Amino acid sequence: MKDGKRAGFSYGVEQVPPPKHLVVLAVQHVLLMFVSLSLPIIFAAQMGATPAVTMSIISFSMLAAGIGSILQSLRLRFIGSGYLCPNVCGPSYFSLSLSAAWAGGMPLMRGMIILAGLVEMFLAPVVQKLKRVFPSYIVGLVVAMVGVSIIKSSVASLFGLGFRGDSVGGAGVTVGFFSLLVMVLANLWGRGFLKMYCLLTGMAAGWIAALIFMPESRFSLSSFDHVPVFALPRMPWGAFSISFRWDLLLPFTVIAVSGSLKSFGNLLAAQRIARPEAKEMNFRPIRNGLLTDGFSTALAGFFGAMAVDTSSSNVGLAGSTGVLSRWIATCAGAIFCLLAFLPRLSAIIARMPKPVLGASMIFAGCFMIVTGLRAMFREKWDQRRTFVVGIALFMGLSTGFLPELYARAPGFIQSFFTDPLPTAVIVAVVMNQVVNLDTLIWNRSAGEDHEGG
Amino acid sequence: MKTVRRLWLLAITATLAGCSSQPRGPNTSMYQYRDTRDLVSFVWKAAEFLREYGLEGIHDLRENREEYRTPDYYLYVYDMRGNALFHAGMPYLEGRNMGQMEDHRGRNIQNMISSALQDSGNPHGWVHYSWWEPEGFYPVPKSSCHFLVLTCGGDSLIVGGGMDYPHEEREFIRILVDNAADRILEQGIRVLETIADPASAYSYRDVKVFVFTEDTVLVSPVLEGGGVNLSLMSATDTAGNRPFAMAVEKLEGDAGVWQVFLARDRYRRMPEKKILYLRRVVSAGDTLYLGAVTDMPEAP
Repeated sequence: MKDGKRAGFSYGVEQVPPPKHLVVLAVQHVLLMFVSLSLPIIFAAQMGATPAVTMSIISFSMLAAGIGSILQSLRLRFIGSGYLCPNVCGPSYFSLSLSAAWAGGMPLMRGMIILAGLVEMFLAPVVQKLKRVFPSYIVGLVVAMVGVSIIKSSVASLFGLGFRGDSVGGAGVTVGFFSLLVMVLANLWGRGFLKMYCLLTGMAAGWIAALIFMPESRFSLSSFDHVPVFALPRMPWGAFSISFRWDLLLPFTVIAVSGSLKSFGNLLAAQRIARPEAKEMNFRPIRNGLLTDGFSTALAGFFGAMAVDTSSSNVGLAGSTGVLSRWIATCAGAIFCLLAFLPRLSAIIARMPKPVLGASMIFAGCFMIVTGLRAMFREKWDQRRTFVVGIALFMGLSTGFLPELYARAPGFIQSFFTDPLPTAVIVAVVMNQVVNLDTLIWNRSAGEDHEGG
Repeated sequence: MKTVRRLWLLAITATLAGCSSQPRGPNTSMYQYRDTRDLVSFVWKAAEFLREYGLEGIHDLRENREEYRTPDYYLYVYDMRGNALFHAGMPYLEGRNMGQMEDHRGRNIQNMISSALQDSGNPHGWVHYSWWEPEGFYPVPKSSCHFLVLTCGGDSLIVGGGMDYPHEEREFIRILVDNAADRILEQGIRVLETIADPASAYSYRDVKVFVFTEDTVLVSPVLEGGGVNLSLMSATDTAGNRPFAMAVEKLEGDAGVWQVFLARDRYRRMPEKKILYLRRVVSAGDTLYLGAVTDMPEAP
């Protein structure tokens, strides 16, 4: 096992695929990473940014995510988890970044994202001390919730839905399900390379189908004359134009904690996939991974990019294909950095039809949910766990079902009940302590009796 | 491996084919919603059909009426005198003259359609109005697009299709503001009276074209705000920004600018995103700013 080779897996964590396969496997991950680039595009549109500023935000977001992915794949003393767990633009930061940008422009957004990154870095060493707080069934819940948290965006994409209230085209839905079916069947029935490149094959099949059946996908590819082939990313907002605001510190800290929890879940999932036989978590790579995540977020803030986060979908893809080599993440990160300087190519890839993107996210998300559930029910179950997991799921999922309710809730509830993943994790951790209070007291008094007796 | 290679070759060929071939149809890339794009394409296809087959094509439309009616929109064809030649939604209107039809604000719909079709900045002939659905209770808001067709037989036809409860497209306010700016450049500030009239085409649903200078508001952006002394340059949104001042700062030349801002939603009591489109025109030495505000689309 030292060389990272695993029985039944195509490439283990430490194994370096041959250059040709390394590049193709990295491209497969890069295509999935492109899903998150919709965030800086939407961000720029909501800010009413000029095309030049939009291009800068996208390029720097790619650069930050690319560098973050490379660092995450390393295994240095304090930096890098050493898992295939690439960085993408973090959706959890999106709405708060937009608020900061509205309140104080790009300088304030940059400053607050840098602070959030520093908070994540500060939290990283604490994780090692949280073994008691995260028993394995809660770890399983966290991993499952990572998959659950992408349900909304992935299904909306699968149906080709751009905006709330818009119609859903029959051709788009057909293309989405066709693409998903090709991915699943290539994974299940495919052998060798077809299985290894199942996502890429499904994406290609879906894109071809979209070009045939969806006229808008042909339109979207018809003109790129205004996009330069090569361009150096520029900072129209000034390299050192950074500001901070105290009143935004608390919400950004809360989101940083949520971001850390999400990355914690992703890194745990990556570890569980890499070491399924392990009975205990190895906290060191997770600590280093969180440190890297925080550093990448701070770097993104310095660049003026969207905050970055570890990617659940890519971890899911690694799990579903069994291709776990961390060098794929290194190569994917390098490609992402390179594409930041090639806007025309990036623009073409970014026009991938939404239903195909949705299919990719669902394909990867399936694995995350099931890996989490299996880890959760691996140990003996009892009534306490039923309440911990049940109440955590109720509260966590309610943030997705009832966003209007939480938007009008008291401030302290709004701060912590943001998204399904962080909410479920916070409630599970608190409930786990509450329902086990009696055993804690009983154990302590038993210990005192023993000492006294 | 061969299978994978073949698949990839096919993918690259199809992608290149997709990139190189110019798709036939109207350019709908300015619209944010699929519903709007679908409606324009739907009406454009019918217009192309009638361009080719002329009045003979009307019989074909009548024989295949269901194809020209969906739960979201339907097709109609008028001649230049306002006679309804075909109406997929309400066939009993066929043969009637619609020239005097007014919406609930008293606006003549045929006149609005004619004006829209003459506006080069309104390539899909959009008009916005409300109508009463037979046996309905509330007026139904509607946005319709139109194409003027010169048939092979030399007849001119207006081919249109409308969507009830339409999405608020930012393109709609761009068309109105640009049209108002062009009219001020041509006719001077006497056009302000028309722009201010709530029964003009410059007001629809919650949208109203407004005009201001750096010192004063000439046409208020608020529908019932005639008596309020607004100072738009110092007005702030719920995030504390000054959207009008920011938009004015961004203006260069005669191109319009877009500015997003936050305002509290009347019904949900939460901040929602609005978008302002602003143009600058100089008329008789005075610098005027023309704008309109509409809703931003929400993520699914």
